[in-house]
Amino acid sequence: MPDDRDAARAAARDDAPRDDAARPDAVRDDAARAADHAGIDRLAASLVPALIAKIGTLNVGELEVREGEWKVRLRRPAGSGTGPTYGRRATDRPSRTQPGHEQHGHAPASPEPHRTPRAIHSPGGAHAPAGAPSTNGSGGPALAPVGPGRDGDAHRSGASGGHVAGGHAGGASSQIATSPAVGVFHPGPKAVGGTRVRVGDRLGAVDMLGVPQEVVAPVDGIVVGVIVEGGTAVEYGQELIHLEPATAVEGR
Amino acid sequence: MFHKILIANRGEIALRILRACRTLGVEAVVAYSEADRDSLPVQLADEAICIGPADARRSYLSAPAVISAAIVTGCDAVHPGYGFLSEDESFAEVVGAHDLTFIGPPPSVLDRFASKEGTRRLLGGYGLPTIPGSDGMLRDDDHALEEAARIGYPVLIKPSAGGGGKGMRMVRTPRELESAIKVCRSEARSAFGDDSLYLERWLEDNRHVEVQVAVDRYGHGVHLGERDCSVQRRHQKILEEAPTPALSPAARADLCDRAIRAVVAAGYENVGTLEFLVDGAGDFYFIEINCRIQVEHPVTEVLTGIDLVATQIRIAAGEPLGFSQADVQLRGHAIEFRINAEDPEHDFRPGAGIVEAYHAPGGPGIRMDSHLYPGYEVPPYYDSLLGKLIAWGPDRATAIVRGRAALEELVVDGLITNVEIHKALLANEVFLDGRMTTNLLDRIGSAAFLAAAART
Repeated sequence: MPDDRDAARAAARDDAPRDDAARPDAVRDDAARAADHAGIDRLAASLVPALIAKIGTLNVGELEVREGEWKVRLRRPAGSGTGPTYGRRATDRPSRTQPGHEQHGHAPASPEPHRTPRAIHSPGGAHAPAGAPSTNGSGGPALAPVGPGRDGDAHRSGASGGHVAGGHAGGASSQIATSPAVGVFHPGPKAVGGTRVRVGDRLGAVDMLGVPQEVVAPVDGIVVGVIVEGGTAVEYGQELIHLEPATAVEGR
Repeated sequence: MFHKILIANRGEIALRILRACRTLGVEAVVAYSEADRDSLPVQLADEAICIGPADARRSYLSAPAVISAAIVTGCDAVHPGYGFLSEDESFAEVVGAHDLTFIGPPPSVLDRFASKEGTRRLLGGYGLPTIPGSDGMLRDDDHALEEAARIGYPVLIKPSAGGGGKGMRMVRTPRELESAIKVCRSEARSAFGDDSLYLERWLEDNRHVEVQVAVDRYGHGVHLGERDCSVQRRHQKILEEAPTPALSPAARADLCDRAIRAVVAAGYENVGTLEFLVDGAGDFYFIEINCRIQVEHPVTEVLTGIDLVATQIRIAAGEPLGFSQADVQLRGHAIEFRINAEDPEHDFRPGAGIVEAYHAPGGPGIRMDSHLYPGYEVPPYYDSLLGKLIAWGPDRATAIVRGRAALEELVVDGLITNVEIHKALLANEVFLDGRMTTNLLDRIGSAAFLAAAART
């Protein structure tokens, strides 16, 4: 077994009990949990967009605000000079969807072709706060550009999908727009090689029972190619459109 | 028969349904969330499709995602398993509207049995005794107090929708009733989206006994005996066995006979379970019907030799039952131990993590239904059931001895499980005498229960 695999497991295991002990859901009743969800919804709808706008105007890496028993922290990715990357985590309150997802990212058992970063990168911090939420439709923060949008709580699980871009590490800098739903894929007019797109631009849609779910650009950049043909059945998270991020393009 | 079935569930039951499909020669597609990508049912399936993120509301509980997955994979039926969408009659209806078959009772039947209170009235009319309870749903606090006074304390507050102990409280005084009713309403509203409550008389030292039935579309129905699910912790079953030690063979036959006659008369279809409370005098009262396959169905399968999941699928496909009551022979005694990732020493706190080693016990009369494998990571998002160990023997004493040996043999490393509570049960005199009631664990507390077992 490769060492890094064991390391990832060890890390995951170390996390698990701690997280479990701290997780309020484990011992509290549903009413309290519902109150938490309401609290998260409220923060995500009001406070988080304001913070995103704020961090865009400041030259700081991290911003943390306390409100009552809640704490909201926004962080730019390490080593990213290009602007804020919105985040994995809307609040510091332990969430069910969060820790396991990270662990899952390291899960050894199978390759994960469609676990692609869906970061929301933006080069000029200023327009990102305005741009990303507008594609969401639900009025939520820039945490979830995609999602079935059935119940307006897409931002919660969207947050777990929003992975910090992997481009910085290896020099490989391509980005993939993935499917927000299980259904039939229909590429849009911008899903053509060479098209310059901005983060949050609509690249197509996945039709789920007649309701189109938007496929959006995860980064500013140029469309390299469409991986899946129009009219094809796709699953949730499937890789659909290949993009070259703007920063990589400019770097050449 | 169906051509291809979408399995809209996870864990051991997804695997169980997959196995039933294989024996029926039907293709199966496992629908999974991102958190279950490495799960055993996904790996063993003919085909698997990711329907959403870990959050069940956007995957296993999302009707559009499940139905869309069934359509794009070319399925003609959806098996909901238990939990998730299995008891959602509007889901069953939408499935039907997309020319797919919901594997369970047809929507019209589900609708008839949707309200617990209405079902009590319906089946009460067909000869099943019911517990004295409130006249309909509680309108307000005053109505609740009036009804409780009429029924007599202690009373049990119950939600009309859902199950699993949520929104349920036993109260002994009017004062307790007033405060508990608010909590129950809020719990029921957040868990089921419906806060209607009703009252039932609380039976002290009751036992939980349920009757398994199967009825085909043509009104031909059989019962498959009963199961005793008295060993519970806060209304959650942890051990089930059959036959029930609570009733004489004659009383068991009477209970099962009345149950099957009532549901056939009321127009039930497919497999289902009628739950009863049995009091100290051996009188039984109908409480609710579960219109789906149940976690503890293997107990009945090992006693009868009948594949209940395959039967469920065949009935949904419109096939006749194909066997009669005389063909249902109950043989021996079976006990199911639910193996959960939870810590009995810490208030049964659920756990998650990597299964470092796993060994399923074997030998005569032993069956293990589990989705575990070494290296599997138990995700933290779903219920804590890791598997079910079923021990069969020609009599109860043999089933207990085999169960004890199998629990010793079972290896699940890397996670804290509730195996110790099962071992403690098998050392407990009340259980060994077959006198357990639903408050056995809660009355003295699980910690005290474990400690007592350690001393023996």
